[in-house]
Amino acid sequence: MTVVPAPTTSRDDGPGSGHGVAPPPRGAAAGARLLRLLRRPLSLQGLLVGGAVVVVGYLAVVPLGYLIHDTFLSADGRGVSFAAFSRAYGGNSQSGEMLLNSLWFALGSAALALVLGTSLAYIQVRTDTPFKGLFFAASLVPLIVPGILYATSWIFLGDPSSGILNSLVFKPLFGSSPVNIYSVWGMIWVQGLHLAPVAFLLMVAAFRAMDPSLEESAAMSGASRLTVLRRVTVPLLRPAMISGALLMFVQSLESFEVPGLLGLQNGIYVFTSRIYFVLRAYPIDYGAAGAYAIGLLLIAAAGVLFSSWLQRSSRNFQTVTGKAFRPRPVELGRARPFVGAGVILYFLITVVLPVAVLVYASLLKYYAAPSSKTLSQMTFANYRTVWHQPLAFTALKNSLIVGIGAATAVMVLTSIVSWVVLRTRARGRRLLDLLAFTPIVIPGLVLGLALSFVYLRTPLPIYGTLLILLISYCTRYLPYGMRYASSAMAQMSPELEESAAVNGASWFQTFRRVLLPLMSGGILAGWVYILVVSFRELSSTILLYSPGKEVLSVLIWEQFENGQFTTLAALGVCMVVLLFLLVSVAYRFGARFGLQNDSAN
Amino acid sequence: MRTRNTTLALAGLLVTAVTAGCGGAVTTASSGSNGKADGVYQQIADLPKDQQRAKAEELAKKEGRTLSLYTSMTADIATPVAQAFEKKYGIHVSVFRGNSETVLQRALQEEQAGKAGADAVETNFLEMTALSDNHYLVPFNGSAVDEVEPAAKFQDWTASRLNVFQPAWNTDLIKAGDEPHSWEDLALPKYKGKLTLEVSDSDWFENVTKYWLSHGKSQSEVDQLWKGIVANAKVAKGHTTMMQFLTAGQTPMEAMNYTYITDRAAQQGAPVTHLPPDGVSKIPAFPRPNGVGMIKGAQHPAAAWLFYDWLLTDGQQELVKLGLTPSTKVPGDKSLKGITLVPFDVAGLSKNGDAWDKKYDALLRGVADVEK
Repeated sequence: MTVVPAPTTSRDDGPGSGHGVAPPPRGAAAGARLLRLLRRPLSLQGLLVGGAVVVVGYLAVVPLGYLIHDTFLSADGRGVSFAAFSRAYGGNSQSGEMLLNSLWFALGSAALALVLGTSLAYIQVRTDTPFKGLFFAASLVPLIVPGILYATSWIFLGDPSSGILNSLVFKPLFGSSPVNIYSVWGMIWVQGLHLAPVAFLLMVAAFRAMDPSLEESAAMSGASRLTVLRRVTVPLLRPAMISGALLMFVQSLESFEVPGLLGLQNGIYVFTSRIYFVLRAYPIDYGAAGAYAIGLLLIAAAGVLFSSWLQRSSRNFQTVTGKAFRPRPVELGRARPFVGAGVILYFLITVVLPVAVLVYASLLKYYAAPSSKTLSQMTFANYRTVWHQPLAFTALKNSLIVGIGAATAVMVLTSIVSWVVLRTRARGRRLLDLLAFTPIVIPGLVLGLALSFVYLRTPLPIYGTLLILLISYCTRYLPYGMRYASSAMAQMSPELEESAAVNGASWFQTFRRVLLPLMSGGILAGWVYILVVSFRELSSTILLYSPGKEVLSVLIWEQFENGQFTTLAALGVCMVVLLFLLVSVAYRFGARFGLQNDSAN
Repeated sequence: MRTRNTTLALAGLLVTAVTAGCGGAVTTASSGSNGKADGVYQQIADLPKDQQRAKAEELAKKEGRTLSLYTSMTADIATPVAQAFEKKYGIHVSVFRGNSETVLQRALQEEQAGKAGADAVETNFLEMTALSDNHYLVPFNGSAVDEVEPAAKFQDWTASRLNVFQPAWNTDLIKAGDEPHSWEDLALPKYKGKLTLEVSDSDWFENVTKYWLSHGKSQSEVDQLWKGIVANAKVAKGHTTMMQFLTAGQTPMEAMNYTYITDRAAQQGAPVTHLPPDGVSKIPAFPRPNGVGMIKGAQHPAAAWLFYDWLLTDGQQELVKLGLTPSTKVPGDKSLKGITLVPFDVAGLSKNGDAWDKKYDALLRGVADVEK
């Protein structure tokens, strides 16, 4: 199925190679482009591309090297050993069974999140549905609320005996308590809702970059709506969907918040409970922790390779071509009220319910199910506590600096690196893609140890400053930035770059004036994602921050350690409000830079 | 191009902000000065006990009146403690707070690199033992340890406060008379489905097991009891989270929580307690020590000495004010009221902690081998 006019020149020639020369012979061609770049190391292009590749490689290799060293080092400190793997997977560790639980949980959550995120993105970008403003909130709030609070809210909602949903909704109306959050389905539900924004942000960018005339031609040729969806729309979005699915799958595989809170209740252990178990013991068995991480890495690597295999005929997805287009909304007609109702329902479930539980909890002295007694005792004391925290403002400032810094750095780096991966035939580009994905499986604590190991031994003033947090966040969110940037890049036809080059634009001009603006939807989505999640990163932060350089997640951890759940809820509510405002500003800003804004219905 | 200029300006601003924000940071660790620190520690230790404090004060002034403390106390405890110390000696305290594992990992990393970032450490016994085993702590011989019971003194660290292990229950759901009166009671069939166990409480598991074995129970009786307890229980993660569900009435009883967590919730008005209606619990309470130590090669050794000394004397009252259990007898301390203390097995856990971790984990997952 060729949905895009064939490019006029061969894909192999791009902006870097000048003006439409015939492709060099194979073998010599491999890497030729990158070589040509590096041969001119002092050109802006050479510096940018070379620099970005080196930085990304460095960021990814440091923790990976540390992990591999600890995993394969034999007990006597010399030579290679696989003993760590038998310690990790052997004996009565039940790792096989746990891996199956994990896979089921991760697949289910990724699938749920993908379906939800994609449908919402479609409705948001491509239809004339009412209540578009709500999408913005629905896409952000679950991302902002720390996992531990989101899962706890759902426990208060969905506990089989005392959950609010069962006791206030299902029991009086239907006489039964069908909701049980402590099951694999409950885990998938909570994790899927928590992850849906990842898919939503990715897919909105993808839908915006898609030329609807292709769908219209199909419809004109007599295809039904379903056929259009199945044969045109979905295939066109494959790069973004695969990227999203991969990210969410691996993220679920390595997360322990939801399984720890919901799964353990019924003895559902997952793979990461092994990692948790290993990392909290002393002496830490770094070998075993590494062996688990390498197990996850293999799964993730298979995923990356599979996704690049699926995208092998990448030309089929390039929907951003030289032709002008303006996405026109599909008129929903009679379906409009139903879709509108669906939007409201989704908004209620993912935003209003959990946030209402948080707000409710934040007004109490200790959590208790709603009753006239608790309602009469509500107080703003928790907000006063948050306000009077001596470190609250320092932490907020530092979180903003590091979050904005990391989001910007990662998106700049990954835009360039995704160009190398997708647009050049440089040798090792697949490896680079894979390498940029590895940080996702490295446990936060191991990342923290690797970074402190390196920077304690460097004379540069990095250890003990905010810079080390910045480096840590850049490493941790590299895989996300990479997926967001490369799925935006994959949609773009090289013919745009070629026309720019033909017209005499330099590589840098082309990159900045053609590629970046066209990718801006995807890049902004990635930026927002990284900014928001960096506010709650704790596992490496807690090891790397320094006194006086606290960030917000450290304060959250403290409230949690102290047993002040209701104060924590107040802090969570403040974070939702704050980040929400911040991202609104970012989007307004984006709109000024020519980003389409679908909320203006 | 207005847009482009704005973009560039914005990018420039951002870069400046990030560099300014990050670059202006304090460096906690400048290159090591081990010999000097050890000299200061020695100089104080060699003096008669009644002259040590004055000498340390004098030397701390020369060090620049600062102290870097690594602790697992959270800010609501650490901040008032640091302020009280500052008030007494005029020494500014910068506090790194983390869970005990993090405190240990950070201190180990820094010591291995020869760049001590901490002067004093205050954390859980297991991590203090690990630091001590790695020879990263310096022994303290001041008069402050004379107040401390022998059981709370260790080679080069001293217990500063205690976390006490007791069951906890919701008084709306466990009526008076139905509460447990011994650890054995947790295995009673009447608690089926009512009990919650924490996934990482292997130190509690070890202490209860050893207590039972040393009080006349056979191994098979002990195994039977644990089997009964696990059969009654669900598993949860995190003592704080568990307490939330207990106060909310979502779970009726916890096999073990720290008494200070239960007390705090009760002070807020939550219907939870760890004491029977008569106010006296006969359940053997294991006090898990947190300890204080001075770091080898510290930047501010004299300040570290003063903090160690202060935490075991005046600092103990501060801990009482904050509702914690001090390691020495302090007038006005009510945190141990109604509690029957028994010794906590520091030695056993320090030596075989990971074996007990594995055993407890296997027990919870239902794959434990019955011990022969």
